[in-house]
Amino acid sequence: MAADIFTLGIDVGSTTSKCLILGNGEEIISSAIIPAGTGTSGPGRALEAALSEAMLSRQDIAAVTATGYGRNSFEGADYIVSELSCHAIGAHAMFPDAKTVIDIGGQDAKAISIENGKLGSFVMNDKCAAGTGRFLDVMARVLELDVSELAEKDAMAGRVIPISSTCTVFAESEVISQLSKNVDICDLVAGIHASVAVRTASLVRRLGLTPPLAMTGGVAQNAGIVRALSKELGEEISVSPLCQLAGAYGAAIHGFNKLKGRK
Amino acid sequence: MADLSTMIAGLKAISPKEELKKAVSAGKKVIGIMPYFCPEELVYASGMVPLGLWGADMQANESKRYYPAFICSILHTVLEMGIKGKLNDLSGIMIPASCDSLKSMGANWQYGVKTVPVINVSIAQNRKIPAGKEYTASQFKKVRDELSKISGKEITDEAIIDAIKVYNENRKALREFSFLAGKHPEAISPADRNAVIKAGYFMDRKEHTKAVLAISAELASLPESSFRGAKVVTSGILADSPSLLKIFEDLHIAVVDDQIAHESLNFRTDVPIIESDPIMGMAERIAEIEGCSVLFDPGKKRGQELVKLAQDAGADGIIWIMTKFCDPEEYDYVPVKRMIDKAGIPLLAVEVDRQMVNYEQARNAIEAFSETLC
Ligand code: SF4
Repeated sequence: MAADIFTLGIDVGSTTSKCLILGNGEEIISSAIIPAGTGTSGPGRALEAALSEAMLSRQDIAAVTATGYGRNSFEGADYIVSELSCHAIGAHAMFPDAKTVIDIGGQDAKAISIENGKLGSFVMNDKCAAGTGRFLDVMARVLELDVSELAEKDAMAGRVIPISSTCTVFAESEVISQLSKNVDICDLVAGIHASVAVRTASLVRRLGLTPPLAMTGGVAQNAGIVRALSKELGEEISVSPLCQLAGAYGAAIHGFNKLKGRK
Repeated sequence: MADLSTMIAGLKAISPKEELKKAVSAGKKVIGIMPYFCPEELVYASGMVPLGLWGADMQANESKRYYPAFICSILHTVLEMGIKGKLNDLSGIMIPASCDSLKSMGANWQYGVKTVPVINVSIAQNRKIPAGKEYTASQFKKVRDELSKISGKEITDEAIIDAIKVYNENRKALREFSFLAGKHPEAISPADRNAVIKAGYFMDRKEHTKAVLAISAELASLPESSFRGAKVVTSGILADSPSLLKIFEDLHIAVVDDQIAHESLNFRTDVPIIESDPIMGMAERIAEIEGCSVLFDPGKKRGQELVKLAQDAGADGIIWIMTKFCDPEEYDYVPVKRMIDKAGIPLLAVEVDRQMVNYEQARNAIEAFSETLC
């Protein structure tokens, strides 16, 4: 049966805007990812792109739910919900068995526990860029790579060169000094991933490591990080091709649930 | 309701800077009181004016010559104000040694702020045993003598007893207010609640008591609350940041009780009146206080207290307001969290700092936490 209730979730992140339209709370009709975050044209463009792919107009959408760092400045939202709740709902929809979700975004990293399909408790790294997407951006730039190339380099690593600094700025100079020793870049990338994994694993342990684990957020697209994290935690981690859209997905589900009067 | 908001606005308008100026121009001497649990009653008994010093929301630069950047912002900003001459009108400053960072505050102040003399305050670590109480009382007596020198007049036991009564009445009024504020979040926002309590650090205590009683009378006459948001108990050192409290308000979160050093911990316990030795009564109060990270608490009763506060107030959760770089609070957090988890009460810790300008991360965490409570 064709969908008759459309809900839209928009995740206005610090560096990227993600939008997803859902039919009857289940079927993904369209989605868009625009690499421009809060305070830019990104959110508007993501919304337009998702609507046009779905061949719908704003009037066809029964509920718009905004989430993410820039959720409060997004105009026209019917509901505003934190990204922690939305990632929990989105991850649950993708992996109904998952109990713990790791979300590494552009500015922060979070470990989230899912209870009854919703956000249970959470631990955030809100102190610095280390262990976040920003850290990987900085490191990729130093290595003259695009972040999208990191996973591929990691897969070719023969060993892991440890990066001991816990601060992005110091880690950057540590990487530069390794580069000056002519080490293999692939090994260095594996080391960078391992250092992110160690930091993220500590968040998960603070929350309480309860498998099954899933990972959401843009950084989950990097198979090197997922591998390093899985090794560090000694657990399998499920990742969906839609990982970057988990927040928007959760937001769209939230909107549908609200319309249906569900909690 | 107009009356209530006018009364609260009156207390919100109290400025420590103005109060200091007013007192000095009226020919009174003013003594700065740093946290924690200084014998403020003695200042009152001396006829001088006590002024609470819990730091300010400002950037600290000069203080970094004396303290490294990783010392809490309460100390940095008090020292900064001192170095910049903003507290030159004080006739003295009471500085206790309640934590590792405060231990060097007295010496830093002496070097950095030559104009205002330090009155060191010591409280026994083993504050509950007879020898500990005796030690605390003996130290408070030294403080009394130093205050006598500054004021130029003897501080009699009668005057101390009178001051204790004034402070006990103020504490009682604040306890009642805190209870009623918890029952009427629709009328008292978290920022209002804090402002009513905070004003006491700068006002004459009798005047403050009068103002608090008037507010409580209004609250008591209100019909049962229609508030539907989340109810929390806060715990920590200080929770007076307007930006933080605005987040609570925006998210419809009510503070129904607290275990904050700057708030209830300062008025939950009265001083017993001991006619023959009133200062010993003040030491007895120190022995009785529970739930504060800077007062030795080997069994971590703080955890049980906090659980009970939350249960008694019907709170949905607890928000631990962690003052950045405060090691006593960080040490307490781990065992206390275990007790709260065991009791099945949702808990969130948010880190705050007097120099913080961006509260987005805190908002994010508090918003997500409140979503789990509803
Ligand atoms: S107890 Fe904590 S907040 Fe208070 S002065 Fe010491 S370090 Fe600062």
